[in-house]
Amino acid sequence: MPKVPLIQTKALCKSYFNEELETPVLFDLDLTIQEGEFVSIMGPSGSGKSTLMHILGFLDNITSGQYLFRGKPTRTMSDDELAQIRATRVSFVFQAFNLLPRTSVLDNVMLPLLYHPTIPVYEREDRARKAIEKVGLTDRADYLTNQLSGGQQQRVAIARSLVTEPDLIFADEPTGNLDSKSGVAVMEVLQDLHKQGHTIILVTHEMSTAQHAQRIIQLLDGKVDKDSTNFKRIIAKKSNTLK
Amino acid sequence: MKLRDTIRTSARALTINKMRSALTMLGIIIGVGSVVLMVSVGRSFEGYILDQIDSFGGGAIDLYPTGFEKFGQTLDSLKFEDYEAVKRLSTVESIAPVIIVTEKITYGTEEASPMVFGTTKEIQRNYGLKLDLGRFIDERDVKSASSVAVLASETAENLFGNANPIGERIRIGERFYTVIGTLKTVGSLLLQDLDEFVYVPYSTARSVTGQRYLSYINLLAVGDDKLAQQDIKTILRKRHSIRNPEDDPDKDDFLVRSSEQVTEIINSVSLGLTAFMGLIAGISLLVGGIGIMNIMLVSVAERTREIGLRKALGARRQDILFQFLIEAVALTIAGGVIGIIGALLLGLVLTAVAGKFLGDISFAMSLPAVLAAALMAGVIGVAFGLYPARKAAALSPMEAIRWEG
Repeated sequence: MPKVPLIQTKALCKSYFNEELETPVLFDLDLTIQEGEFVSIMGPSGSGKSTLMHILGFLDNITSGQYLFRGKPTRTMSDDELAQIRATRVSFVFQAFNLLPRTSVLDNVMLPLLYHPTIPVYEREDRARKAIEKVGLTDRADYLTNQLSGGQQQRVAIARSLVTEPDLIFADEPTGNLDSKSGVAVMEVLQDLHKQGHTIILVTHEMSTAQHAQRIIQLLDGKVDKDSTNFKRIIAKKSNTLK
Repeated sequence: MKLRDTIRTSARALTINKMRSALTMLGIIIGVGSVVLMVSVGRSFEGYILDQIDSFGGGAIDLYPTGFEKFGQTLDSLKFEDYEAVKRLSTVESIAPVIIVTEKITYGTEEASPMVFGTTKEIQRNYGLKLDLGRFIDERDVKSASSVAVLASETAENLFGNANPIGERIRIGERFYTVIGTLKTVGSLLLQDLDEFVYVPYSTARSVTGQRYLSYINLLAVGDDKLAQQDIKTILRKRHSIRNPEDDPDKDDFLVRSSEQVTEIINSVSLGLTAFMGLIAGISLLVGGIGIMNIMLVSVAERTREIGLRKALGARRQDILFQFLIEAVALTIAGGVIGIIGALLLGLVLTAVAGKFLGDISFAMSLPAVLAAALMAGVIGVAFGLYPARKAAALSPMEAIRWEG
């Protein structure tokens, strides 16, 4: 019996509607991603890569076609089922960080645990502190997020994405708002997480960032243009900013 | 999400965004406070005015001369003989004729300009006057037109300070009077300060002014005051040769007014006043409501992005709605309670200050106003508190995160 893929899309289409005007973004997209992969989704702006990531991460709905998560169709899922998947199975690192302002690093990292159905209350702080340690921000745990640099904020966002130990971590241009040194640190954390068994889907328009993954999917005009194993993989160097 | 977490999340959101919370609460405080204050103060004044009439006594009737007032001439249609005739009516008792003397009063270098009433002993009962020292005017004083005066509390204080005025001689116009009594403080009657009056015998006033007519007559009805009024009208029309079967007050040269009629007028005035206050209150609630709405709508974009993020992290729609509901309820309750208490305190202070000038006025809290204000603030607060949450919770997480307003 073949292994059930973590993610499978069949003829997936997505259009945005603006006052009856249809703007198609993705058409007939077929894609399969197995558990444990580190995949980069690349493409020029407007190619639909972010939209694809949002759909795969249950942040947006599809217009037609199928999206199977662990073999289960997602279109028929109720609001609460989707919320449960977001709470337990997937997590995000956004380009704009999307942290709660005027709130401590620890509280930000603990935020997903509030919505987690099974992790007990007494484990929350422990888990959050461990996640913060993984991204090397132990000494900043009680800082407010707006007191941190961009690179540190993105690492908080990564810690937040780790804290529920999801099957799948999505990163949307995680280095896009960062200087190169901070960017390297972030990529290093993502590679570490992959090594620990997390499936990671990275969305970027930069080849140098994409090459940190094992597999690179290139989108063009809403379709898969190329899908290949990355033989020139870059391993992010240990940097002084981390650890 | 557990209830405890929701409450804690709401509390955090409120304390982290102190400015937003404070402004929202301010809107509610002003909205609720102005309603409660306006209506309560209105009610207090209404009560004050009604008290004034009450102290007039039930069944009290005033009889005034009316007609065209010629230049330099006062109305003179009410004669002493009319008083005698009305006095004989079986439906009338405790009748007091009044001649108002407009003269300055002096005692040594002290001066006062009170109302000087030339009247009889009956006025004491009719006005509910209580003696402080000495005695009131009696029948003998009236019969002999003696030069005696009874001072109301404030007049006595103005002229004599704390000294005992009994037996002292004061001057009213050209004539000296012996003070025979002083009165206790009674407050105001129909916005006239009774405590600034001086009472002298009716006959004395008549002889010093040379007046052949009365300023007015004050009396009490025996039993039904409608009957007494009718009797008075009949006899006065007969005496003045007025044919008025239509009972048209314009044809009479006098006016009969009972305290009940005055009460009715004042009731309708105060009802109008309360309605007016309510209108102002309603407008202030509307303004307060719009204030609350504005601050909530201003923060919609920020809050929509926050909701998108929370949904992306796994929050269910009900988690979001519940969090915002608790926030809105907490703000509304806090703002409402502060608004109500603040308004009541301010109302107490205002009536206390007003009482300094108007005499006895007690603060009347308006419970319906408090309830209406609380209800409306609750509805507006919760409706507009939930508004961004309802809107944002219906979006997909990504739509909400990208929300620009």
